[in-house]
Amino acid sequence: MEAEAPVRCQLCPPQRALQASAALRRVSDEHKKEPAASSSQHQFDSHPTDQQPEQEPQGPRPSYTGQGGQESEDYESEEQLQHRILTAALEFVPEHGWSAEAIAEGAKTLGLSAAAAGMFHNDGSELVLHFVSQCNTELSELLEQEQKLVQLGETEKKTTEQFLRDALEARLRMLIPYIEKWPQAISILLLPHNIPSSLNLLTSMIDDIWHYAGDQSTDLNWYTRRAVLTGIYNTTELVMIQDTSPDFEDTWRFLENRVADAVNMHNTAKQIKSTGEALVQGLMGAAVTVKNLSGLNQRR
Amino acid sequence: GGVSAGATNAALVGRIIRVDHAGEYGANRIYAGQMAVLGRSAVGPLIQQMWNQEKEHLKKFNELMVAYRVRPTVLLPIWNVAGFVLGAGSALLGKKGAMACTVAVEESISNHYNNQIRTLMEEDPEKYRELLQVIKQFRDDELEHHDIGLEHNAESAPAYSVLKTAIQLGCKAAIFLSERI
Repeated sequence: MEAEAPVRCQLCPPQRALQASAALRRVSDEHKKEPAASSSQHQFDSHPTDQQPEQEPQGPRPSYTGQGGQESEDYESEEQLQHRILTAALEFVPEHGWSAEAIAEGAKTLGLSAAAAGMFHNDGSELVLHFVSQCNTELSELLEQEQKLVQLGETEKKTTEQFLRDALEARLRMLIPYIEKWPQAISILLLPHNIPSSLNLLTSMIDDIWHYAGDQSTDLNWYTRRAVLTGIYNTTELVMIQDTSPDFEDTWRFLENRVADAVNMHNTAKQIKSTGEALVQGLMGAAVTVKNLSGLNQRR
Repeated sequence: GGVSAGATNAALVGRIIRVDHAGEYGANRIYAGQMAVLGRSAVGPLIQQMWNQEKEHLKKFNELMVAYRVRPTVLLPIWNVAGFVLGAGSALLGKKGAMACTVAVEESISNHYNNQIRTLMEEDPEKYRELLQVIKQFRDDELEHHDIGLEHNAESAPAYSVLKTAIQLGCKAAIFLSERI
């Protein structure tokens, strides 16, 4: 057992759910030492198809029973279960808001008791964070797809301005089904105990968008670009929750203007910089000329 | 596209690339400062040559930074100015002063790279093979610069040991900060 543990740790994939299930398997393994020899090969896989001769019916997944090493090996980790409950709960958000009630309803549709909502905070924090995280993942996949199509030459590469607009629009459109209750979500995300997570989600989304937009800056531009885009996203989000126009066309127009402003500012800044540099070069040239004329520039 | 993070320790790699990028950036600025003062002296071509190698190093870390999606340190503008001032300042002490600065900085950087190599080897030499290769190569280049500095009478510079200690303390602080901020 000693030799297996460190090797297994190194190959553990970083996804927390899988790490959790590996940890849980280790616990259950300690209860089943004898058949360990033959199954040691498969313990590196994410979900080992186990050799246990269990007769568990493969109907609805077994719920979390907390009985140590007694469950079958397609026991899901607590985190995976939580994900499923939260995803199911989203359906009830338009009616119940981002709250424990929605989570309880979600749990019920999975055949669990409403008390499963007790696993979560009763302010709906996890539900909102889960949703935001899901949206960000969806956006990343979308952008990845688009990048593949461009690489295969099947679509034209967009200008940076167009790309940013489309990416932000795609991301904001994911809010549309929940737009009535979105102000509540925003305020939940701003709760002090949620700020680290929500900030993290926001920054990684913005970083993703810039990455796919082809940003290659390695200086302070890295920060200014992300700061500007974050500002655009946040203000557009606020406009969106107050927008009553058909299909949110006012919001998209607002977005278009903000992105254009940002690109404009960037171009102006570049122009100023190159003018400034040209000026400095001119002055240096003049200084060298004066030095030459006055004989100060002679090599000793 | 880009390098797959896979099972690599993203935080560790991020810190390493960020601080190394800052270091090469700073080294570039130091040589730029030295060239500004000593560029037209006898030792100019030598400094230019070392500077060119640092430019290559910086270019490589720019690439790695984009590939691994690492953020640069916010302190870059500070290293921009500080590096130039250090280079120019040491060069104003004369050719030996510039060489002393080079020796101090290159020794710090080589030790720093050695520490990183040790860390990566302890983590997993296979996973980090590419990065290890780059760092080892660069460490060798920096050691070469260090030796060139010694060959050119760095040790006879005015207040050599004081200068060296002060510069190396500064390097340690810069490394500490750039890893985190």
